[in-house]
This record gives sequence, structure tokens and C-alpha cells, in this order.
Amino acid sequence: MNIYSVAYKNLLRKKVRTALTASGIALSAWVLATLFGFNRGYESGLNRDVDNMGFQVLLTAKGCPYEAATLMLKGGTGLRYMEEDVVKTVSSNKEVEAVTRMLMQGVFDPNKGDSGAIAAYLGVDTHTFPAMKPYLEFKQGGWFKTNDGYEAVMGYEAAELEAREVGDPLLIPDLGTELKVVGVLKRTGTQDDGTIFLPLDTVQKIFKKEGKLTGLGIKVDKNADMGAFENRLYDLPDVQVVSMAQVKTTIMSLVSSARVIVFAIAFIAVLIAMAGVVNTILMSVIERYGEIGILKSMGAMPLDIFRMIWMETAILCSLGGFGGILLSLATARAAEAAVRHFLPYTPNGDMIAVNFSIAAGAFGVIFVGGLLSGVYPAWRAARVRPLEAIRNEGE
Amino acid sequence: MKKLILLALFALSAAPAFAAVGCDLNDPDRDVARLFPASTGYKTQYLSVKTAGGAPLLARIEARLGDKFKGLYETIDVPYTLYHIYKGKEKVGYIHGVNQKGEFGGIQAFITLGLNGEIRAFYIQKLTSKGAAALRSKEFGEQFAGLTLADFAAYDPVAGKVAGEGPAARLKSPSPAADKDFRNVLRSVKKNLILMDELLFSREQK
Repeated sequence: MNIYSVAYKNLLRKKVRTALTASGIALSAWVLATLFGFNRGYESGLNRDVDNMGFQVLLTAKGCPYEAATLMLKGGTGLRYMEEDVVKTVSSNKEVEAVTRMLMQGVFDPNKGDSGAIAAYLGVDTHTFPAMKPYLEFKQGGWFKTNDGYEAVMGYEAAELEAREVGDPLLIPDLGTELKVVGVLKRTGTQDDGTIFLPLDTVQKIFKKEGKLTGLGIKVDKNADMGAFENRLYDLPDVQVVSMAQVKTTIMSLVSSARVIVFAIAFIAVLIAMAGVVNTILMSVIERYGEIGILKSMGAMPLDIFRMIWMETAILCSLGGFGGILLSLATARAAEAAVRHFLPYTPNGDMIAVNFSIAAGAFGVIFVGGLLSGVYPAWRAARVRPLEAIRNEGE
Repeated sequence: MKKLILLALFALSAAPAFAAVGCDLNDPDRDVARLFPASTGYKTQYLSVKTAGGAPLLARIEARLGDKFKGLYETIDVPYTLYHIYKGKEKVGYIHGVNQKGEFGGIQAFITLGLNGEIRAFYIQKLTSKGAAALRSKEFGEQFAGLTLADFAAYDPVAGKVAGEGPAARLKSPSPAADKDFRNVLRSVKKNLILMDELLFSREQK
């Protein structure tokens, strides 16, 4: 019988106490892994959302910049307009690699649900928009060839909801305009999945917004001085500049504030779990004073006793930590749904990304914390005086 | 321990899978109370042709429907949401919806059923059609009350016609603009009743 099996059997003597302590450790590991996963998933999701926009700067009509950015990220509607002349002005800047014009429009569809809903359409320039979104792939068909055709390209979820395939007609409610679906995109996990893309000129014509835009996506040379370029854009009248880098920084700083509080709670949870480990192992040591005394009188050295007790702590923390990691994997989607419910903006895709490195990190924190907690009980056990312990046991 | 490690490795390496789209009530608490005024609660159950019987069941459903399940979105793995409706502890009926391809967009059509499978109410939750208002009208929906699967047996969804003079033959399109989607709605009701029979009533009898 080796030291591992002795330690394991000692833990099995008090099954309920061991299970409760391991559960406490598991809960701490669960909180840690979920928070680490959220930390990583939210940031990478936000980066993905911003990168998938295909442009680094978005020009919109004057209004709240954060609202505008969120609307664009979530594919909503913006009802402020810019004159199309702004394209020439912006394109004359040497930093600009490409621009793409956009016009978002929405109509109220009274036949969606009990009280109706907005159906949104994004007019895009077929000559520039696809080049800025090279990651978009088609499940069926392709992009429209001209900017004035009565055609539509549907994101995967939009096509799924409307049961549309290439060749099917699509009706714009309220206006009664008929379009033909020429493309259905593959699922991307971004806001594009729920978007219905129409040729820009067609949207301007059917919504009577000729010469108007709601957004201008600007792709900037990577080596350009972004600050200087943005400053020049700020001088343009009646437009606002939404820098995706700024949006990302602003959202991340907001999330970071909340994260500090949550990590503090997680730290307290780990401390409580460590206190539980100290309590459990110390009680176990005190109950076994006589037994430890006999072991020492048979030749066991203090280091042997220390290792035996420490091993119990290690096994307990391993079981709890492993259980907590499994729990975090099992509940990642539920936790994600809860977070999405409470946060005003959440990126698309997996937001709580518990992968191997995160699982290993959370396990490591719990394991090391547990081992530190086991030092004092193990030290107490190692210091037991054999004769005194056996005498006390006899009395 | 080995099993736990394997389970953990599987969970860490699993890629997200996207299921086919189902047909749920937008606001079940509100909608159930409106569609079943006397109800006090409901339970939700998820059913699928794939898990209930697979390809042989799908073939039987298609044979009874008289049409194939078509397109990218009418597939064997569609999750069907069935609402069991209660008044106190007593079950009083069911609500079940299906997605149906319409002329200009998707249709989400629900029927409420009594315990014997007869239609109590009909409700179109979402519809994009030139005759949408007429198809969602109270008068049109009331035509379906009391009909059963047997009444729809004579409906041929491919031809869009009802053979004979049964109750289903008396259902009328509410406006010429809605004719095509009227036929799509009838197909959705027949499909819905067959699914309820195959996935629920026939199994309860067994």
C-alpha cells in the first residue's frame, strides 16, 4: 500500500464531509473557469465582431456614437442620414484604401408576432461591400451584379426565418415591393446572419432616399496615422466618426469595471473553499492524533506524515477542481444565456470560451490554493508527539 | 477516472453544432393564456422526427401528407415545440406550431388542440404575404375550429385541392391575393395534425 492509497482511504472514512468539501472546491473552480472563459470569450467575440465589419472607421450622421456603433454591430436601423457627397470628400484622403456606402432602412411589419416588428434591410454597394467582407461565403447563389436590381442576398438566419432559397420571391411588407433572392449566405456567427442585403440604389429608390446614406465604411491603410486621419474626419460637418478601435476600447473598459467586481467575488469564493479545506483536513488530523502517534512510533518520519496529509489535500482539491471544470463546461451555454440577458451589448458567437488552457489555469489556481491550505494541517500532523498522542487516545 | 478524462477532453474539443430552426411561441406566457383562456399553466416538450423514428417515420409522415418535406429548412431534425396546457393539475389540451414556406416568406402557424386531437383555435404568428391581414383575421382562423386530421385527409397539398365535400373543402381563401398562401396554410395545418398524431396521439394510445 503506497502513500496515495492511504491518503485516499483516509478521505473515504468520512464520505459526507469529503463530498461537501469537494463540492465547495468544485463551485470555486466552476466560478473561476467560467469567469476566465468569459474574459477570453467576450474579448475575442468583440474583436471578431469589429474585424468582421471589414472597415476600421464608420462614418454616420450626427447622433450618439455608442448607439450608432451598437446599432451597426447588432444590425439595427439608423434613421439619420448623410449626403452621398461625403464619399468624395472622404476618398480624397490619402490614408483611405477603400470606402463602402450603406443605407439601412426598416419597415414596420404588423404580421410579425402579436404586435408587429421591424423588418430591416441593408442597402450595400455591390462593387465595394463584398471586397470588404471576404469572409462571407454563400450557401446558395452569389452577390447581386448591379446596384439597381430588385434582388436580395439573405444572411443564413434571415433566410431560415423566411424559408427563402435562391430564386424565391421576397416581399417588403408595407411597401409591397417584390424582390428576388439571388444568394443565401453561410452561417457566420455575426450580425450578418440576420441581415437582408439589397442593392444600394434599389434601397434608395424604393424608400425614396436618393442621395442619402446611413453609413460609410472606411478601410484605412494599416500604416496610416489613424489619429490624424480621424481628426480630419471630425472636421466634416454633420457627421460623426465611429472608430471601431475606440468602440472596442470603450466597451472593454465598461466590461472591465464589472469584471473587477466579479473577480473579487471569485477570489472570495476561492478563499472560502480554502478555509473549508483547512477545516476538513485539520479536523481529520485532530481525530487521528492517536493513529498518527502509532505511525510515528512504528518509524514514520515527520516528513512521511506531512506528505500523507498533504496528499489528502491534493486528492480533495483534484477531485473538486476537476468536478468544477466539468461543471463549467456543462453550464457554459446557460451561463452565456444569463450574461446575454443582463449585458446591453454582447458579441456574437461563443461568449464563454472554456478551452484547455482556461480549464488548466482554473484547475491550477484551485490546486495550488488547496495545497497551500493543506500546509498547516499537515504541519500540525507532522509535529504530533507519539507517546503523548497515544496516551491521550487511551484516556 | 478514465471516463471523466475522456468526457472532459471531448467537451473541450467539441465544436458548436447548429440545429434546424423550430417554431416556438414568441411569448409563451402571454400566448398560452390568450389561446387557452381557461388555462392556468403549461409544460413544454421538444419532439423531433429524427429522434422519434428517423427516416422510416419521415417517409410515413410524407406519405400521409401527400408531399415531400422540402428545401433547406424543412428537414428531419427540425425540433418541434409542443405545449401541454393545464387547468390546475388537469391537462386540457395542446398548442403546436410548424414552419411553412410561404409565397413571399416563412409562415409560423399554430393550432390549439383538445385532448382528442380536434382543432380548437388557429393562429398565424408570423406571415409575409400580400394577403397577410386576411389570413391572420379572426374570421379566417375560426373556420378551423372543430376540424380533425380526418377532415384534412382529402387535402392534396401538391394540387392544392380538397377532394369531395368534407369540412376541409368548405375552407375558403379570404382574398384572391392570399390564394397561394391559403394553400400553404392548409398544408401547414395538415402537416401539423399528422405530426401531432405520429409524435403524440398514436404513442399515447400505445
